Amino acid sequence: MKNIFKLIIIVVPATFFIFFYFYLSEDKTYPGLQTDEFAFPNFYLETLDDEKVFLNEQDLPSTGLLNVWASWCITCLVEHPFLMNLKEKDIKIIGLNYKDERFDAQNWLNKYGDPYSEVLYDPKGSLALDLGVTGAPETFLIHNGKIIAHYSGEINERVWAETFLPIINKNNIKNL
Amino acid sequence: MLINLSHYMSILSGASFLLCACLSFLFIKQADASKSLIKNIFSNSCYLLFISFGTYVYLAISDDFSVEYIANHSNSNLPMFYKISSIWSAHEGSMFVWILFLAIWGYFFNLHKPSNDQIKMTSIGIISLILFGFMVFLLLTSSPFTEILPLAPENGADINPVLQDPALAMHPPTLYLGYVGFVIPFAYSISFLIHEEYSYSWERAIRSWSVIAWSFLTIGIALGSWWAYYELGWGGYWFWDPVENVALMPWLAATAFIHSLKVSADTRAHRSWTILLALLVFSLSLFGAFIVRSGIIDSVHSFANDPERGLYLLAFCSIIVLSSLFIYANKYEKLLSKKSTLLSKQSYISINNILFITLIFSTMLGVLYPLIFEYLYNEKISVGAPFYNSIYIPITIIAAVFLVFSIEINWNGYLSKIKFLHPLSFSIIFAFVITIYLYQEFEIKNILLLISLFVGYLIIIRYLFVLFMSKYINIASFCAHFGLGVLIIAISLNSLLSSERVLNLNINETKAYKGINITLEQIKVLNGSNYDSIKGFLKVNDGANQYMLEPEKRRYFVRGQITTETDIKVTPIKDIYVTLGDQLDDGSWIVNIQLNYFIRYIWASMIMMALASLFIISNTRRQS
Amino acid sequence: MKKFLLIYLFPILLFASSYYGLTTYEDEERFNNLIKEIRCPKCTSGSLASSNAPVSEDLKFKIAELINEKKSDEEIKAFVSQRYGNQSLYDPGLSNETYILWFAPFIFLLIASIVFIMRSKR
Repeated sequence: MKNIFKLIIIVVPATFFIFFYFYLSEDKTYPGLQTDEFAFPNFYLETLDDEKVFLNEQDLPSTGLLNVWASWCITCLVEHPFLMNLKEKDIKIIGLNYKDERFDAQNWLNKYGDPYSEVLYDPKGSLALDLGVTGAPETFLIHNGKIIAHYSGEINERVWAETFLPIINKNNIKNL
Repeated sequence: MLINLSHYMSILSGASFLLCACLSFLFIKQADASKSLIKNIFSNSCYLLFISFGTYVYLAISDDFSVEYIANHSNSNLPMFYKISSIWSAHEGSMFVWILFLAIWGYFFNLHKPSNDQIKMTSIGIISLILFGFMVFLLLTSSPFTEILPLAPENGADINPVLQDPALAMHPPTLYLGYVGFVIPFAYSISFLIHEEYSYSWERAIRSWSVIAWSFLTIGIALGSWWAYYELGWGGYWFWDPVENVALMPWLAATAFIHSLKVSADTRAHRSWTILLALLVFSLSLFGAFIVRSGIIDSVHSFANDPERGLYLLAFCSIIVLSSLFIYANKYEKLLSKKSTLLSKQSYISINNILFITLIFSTMLGVLYPLIFEYLYNEKISVGAPFYNSIYIPITIIAAVFLVFSIEINWNGYLSKIKFLHPLSFSIIFAFVITIYLYQEFEIKNILLLISLFVGYLIIIRYLFVLFMSKYINIASFCAHFGLGVLIIAISLNSLLSSERVLNLNINETKAYKGINITLEQIKVLNGSNYDSIKGFLKVNDGANQYMLEPEKRRYFVRGQITTETDIKVTPIKDIYVTLGDQLDDGSWIVNIQLNYFIRYIWASMIMMALASLFIISNTRRQS
Repeated sequence: MKKFLLIYLFPILLFASSYYGLTTYEDEERFNNLIKEIRCPKCTSGSLASSNAPVSEDLKFKIAELINEKKSDEEIKAFVSQRYGNQSLYDPGLSNETYILWFAPFIFLLIASIVFIMRSKR
């Protein structure tokens, strides 16, 4: 009995310390990446270009990217060239204009360039809430009508190569 | 250059502590011969450290921005008090303060009339070794001495305006004094085990030190809670944030320890448990330092992440903790401990210890579970108030019941038979009556809340009987436990009665909330020394009285940071707490009003518990 | 007509309009309790109650809306955790993986008490 006790008081703390050691030395994957799958939420929003045109979830391509952005978001400007790059590779990006003014958003696109095939206007952030967005920029990867990746933060060459490409390859997505 | 002097002094003091440690272990059995040598070397090592720190303070006050840490955390526009407090506002500086306080405790302990030379000298050696280890950590991974060369910036960055607050400035030093003070019982008890002079009462020798450290820890936690309440703007006083929990665990261990210490000091029972608790308290303090500084846990409190620091600190803390436990495991059986009977005060203290250790275990589980879960399942979860409340409330209730019954018993057994006309029965009846009244008055649906109120009142009524009817009263025990009763009642009533609402008001508009009328009289734009602000003037009328509350939103120049300054009207049973929000499109202003009942009693009770220690210290003096 | 309006609107009028659009004291209490148990999605740590972040404000409005739609606490929590992950709830719930979290403290206490009693009887 006494020996068990002695063993416990040494082994238990030692186990803790070993656990912490492994935890600290672990290579963290990108903290901004979430890979839970869920169906694309329902929505009914105006497009940015034309307030008379409404879109819902069935109008979206079943495979593509959705990028959350706003004219007030500085990091979005930093990310913008990379998105233009993706557009040149014929990758379809739907824009979600988040908590912005229509006028400011349109001006921003005219000034810097429009990488989006379509932009949804979400001034209240209602679709964003349903997507689990906490700020801008954020990018979602959609496949067969489901979201399979959600990245919070700026995408660039390195992030694309280390986070999105592996998922794209794993799912054999061809027609992005 | 002064910074180099400061740096050099720190290096020297570290080396000197190492020397002191080596000497004390070399001469471990010849304490008499080496006593004055070791004592003096330790004092001198401390002096070197004090000079180093003193110089550093001078550099901070005199705005020497060639020092990177001072440039990052201080600014010439700050009042002197905040220039000094900026030293402990981030990792490197606060680590420096941690080490300083270790040395201060050690210094006074070193000088104090010791009881047993051998044990004392070895304990100084252990403290020196710990100081040396931390100094290496500081100098190699977290140096506050790095310079910005060749050109120093003209002015520093402004410290976070939220940090420019007296209570917050005092909260870390007070806490550290508490955490770090437990190195004394830690080192002394290990030394005691090493020397095997088991007939000696190390417990008596160490009692005052432990109790003072415990008080600092209690006050430090109360300060943090009070500050969070009035500064952060959401009116909460405890959040179960991992870093709060990591301060609470040493406090729980320390409380169990000082109770167990009394048992061992007075009756020589449970000596091995008391030592184990002494080791546990300091180990938990070290663990706390590790968690906060390694970035392993997400918390608003944690300092910047740095895995390298985390690993070093982990290695260092593991060595200290595991070696102390190893020594304990080898030696504790030979301790001469008297057995105690099941029905005696010692048993009640043992039960108390079990309950407290369960709380420590549960808190540790709650803090680490998200980490373990993420490691095993790659998924994130959060563990918060619901979990902790489900454990703390039942256990506190059980502990309270045992506390009240323990009054009837002393070291040898029951004091007298419990007859029907006994203070305990009256206490139960009165507490019951009060609880029923509250139940009806407030329609209380939560059973645990009702029971908590009952035991809280039971404690204070029973202790009032003790105060007015007993022949002999232990003032320290009265103070501390009465305080506990008040704490339980205050927390329960606060949770039962408090409420809040967010409303929007136009100028000169009045709205009513729970019998109180609030009018927004005006909004003014003001300029302060390093900020400008929008201040709301709210007239609050609760039927009996009228108050003017002036909450503000400030924007600080240097970082552009926006803070909300609450305004609070303190009345005897409640706080009227208002914050000002943004202006809406229709011109109205968002106002958050809260009614927080009995919240001041929470901190008052903690101060009362801390003050109980003064009575213990004076008692101890009289005994020796 | 006036009578009708007074009877049905009076309780709402008594309850000075709350910024989040809640209409009764019970709803408000539910709301205040819920926002303390839901984590702010954007902050390092802290509940919705303690956060002014835009996404926290949005969530608070949405929660108030759901309360007005008579959704239950469980439904509201499920709504939030579906979108922001399980870590947005401070109550990790009772599941196969969390049994150990909720029960370990009591098992610990039980074992410690048994050991204590056995040792004292000797």
